[in-house]
Amino acid sequence: MKDLAKTLRVSKLLSNKKVLLVLGLAIAIIGIIVAVTDPVRFQILITSVSEGSFYALAALGIGLLFGVLRLINFAYGDWVMLAGYALILPSTAVTSTLIIGSFHPVLIVLIIIGFTVLLSVISEGTVFRPMRNTSPAIMMIASFALGYVLQNLTIMIYGGRPKSAGIFEELTQQVNLAEGVSVPLLKIITIGVTALLLLLLTLFLQRTKIGIQMRAAAEDFRMARMLGVRANFVIAMAFVISGFLASFVSLMYVTQIGILTFRMGTPIIVFAFIATVIGGMGSLVGSVVGGMVVGVSSVVLKNILPGEIRGFSDAFVFGLVIAILLARPQGLVPAKSARERV
Amino acid sequence: MVEPLLKVDNITVHYGRLSAVREVSITVNQGEIVCVVGPNGAGKSTTLLTISGVLAPTTGDVTFSGERINGMRPEIVARKGISQVPEGRHVFTTLSVEENLRIGAQIRSDKTEVEKDIKWVQELFPILGERRRQSAGKLSGGEQQMLVIGRALLTKPKIMTIDEPSLGLAPNIVDRVYEVLTTLRKERGMTLLIVEQSSERALKAADRLYVLRNGQIQIEGNASELQDGEKVRQAYFGFSETEQQEDGANF
Repeated sequence: MKDLAKTLRVSKLLSNKKVLLVLGLAIAIIGIIVAVTDPVRFQILITSVSEGSFYALAALGIGLLFGVLRLINFAYGDWVMLAGYALILPSTAVTSTLIIGSFHPVLIVLIIIGFTVLLSVISEGTVFRPMRNTSPAIMMIASFALGYVLQNLTIMIYGGRPKSAGIFEELTQQVNLAEGVSVPLLKIITIGVTALLLLLLTLFLQRTKIGIQMRAAAEDFRMARMLGVRANFVIAMAFVISGFLASFVSLMYVTQIGILTFRMGTPIIVFAFIATVIGGMGSLVGSVVGGMVVGVSSVVLKNILPGEIRGFSDAFVFGLVIAILLARPQGLVPAKSARERV
Repeated sequence: MVEPLLKVDNITVHYGRLSAVREVSITVNQGEIVCVVGPNGAGKSTTLLTISGVLAPTTGDVTFSGERINGMRPEIVARKGISQVPEGRHVFTTLSVEENLRIGAQIRSDKTEVEKDIKWVQELFPILGERRRQSAGKLSGGEQQMLVIGRALLTKPKIMTIDEPSLGLAPNIVDRVYEVLTTLRKERGMTLLIVEQSSERALKAADRLYVLRNGQIQIEGNASELQDGEKVRQAYFGFSETEQQEDGANF
């Protein structure tokens, strides 16, 4: 009984935003202090923050659509997958040939952005727009269906075998940051690109007319419409941004792995979805925080767990997720609209 | 006869198979303040949401300036010049006070007029000027009510529909809200359709009054004619003792 009371007090304390912020900052600072004292730990720090950035971007793409539309988009991972396949020649041959992937790097990035945004907008127009007035559960099932269609389309066009797709291979080279600290350049670029995209997205949402409309619509769609905010336009914009983010997720992932499979979107969507849930569904800050928690804890656990249980590090990540949700069922940074409905 | 600005013509609205309002007709003329009063669940909000295009009537029409608007999307209705201040205020709490105001003005292209109107709204409600950078969620209930009225004004509406402006506010704040609403009519010729639960305050401000109960209009008339209140009371609570008992027996 006493224990229960104690637990309740702890969870009450954790529901205080300031306490949580201080706690988060303290963990981050301790992490950095622990890391800078040792080259290996510093490497783990950079790798984990890079992994966190990756999941933060993926989670944002999902969180944004949930915020505006209450859509949990499980086809997101398959957009990422298809964006990867777009790099190579469409054929079922065993060896793959880079087409778009062999262009100038700038061109690759631009074309993949265009491709993924288009894919996202077409998904909206053909699948999600007709379903908009149904329930969120039905839209989620529809996103599963869309995902399967995209996966099977990929098998039809490219075959079911894994295909190699080496792009930006020079980025996987190690760079020396300091004495004994060397990490792949890609890790640093991932962190940099994510920071840049977050900054751009923040500026867009805070400063532009469309951004403010999107924030308003995410909080109270009906009210926004009654003030003349065009529903179709705001939702289409949300899909454009979600697709835009998916293209970067895909480019980073393919550069890292170098291999395409039609199932490669699944683990990404699973981790990214979990990130949005622990961050707080519909909260964009929450998506970033959740992505960081998932990415960082995943890498750190892979490195600090003793060898024999290292293979099960995901179980520990999900254990952490359960613990977070027990303490804060509404997520770390709950969205405003979600809070109102409770 | 002059065409009314807003004409709700014999509308019936269903939620699923349940009808919330039945054959309701309301007219609002240019420059009028019209009040619809009625108890909880009478169908007042349903009527306003139907006017705004959020709900579609099963039968009947809504015409605005002679144009049929039922079936139009809410954002189109708003752009035609009907601005609703819904029940429960609905400020965008994650946006600043000024962003809330500006989102009202985003449908307009007359930029210099918008700036003037923002100044005007901030004079009308000084608190909105003082706290313009603050998050709107931090405002008190009364301040939020002022913000949503200001926000609706910035769409430059031809008519404002207001759902229970006095809900959950202290009496002196309610007085202030009604003072502003009557000033708006006097100085700007604003047309208002106000929905309230309490008929007393509404009677004072209104030119004409409708009493809505159980989804139907019970009585309508000029506010001056209904001033004694007895008729309104009867319409509000039910016509006779026996009918009231029947109503009671239904529960």
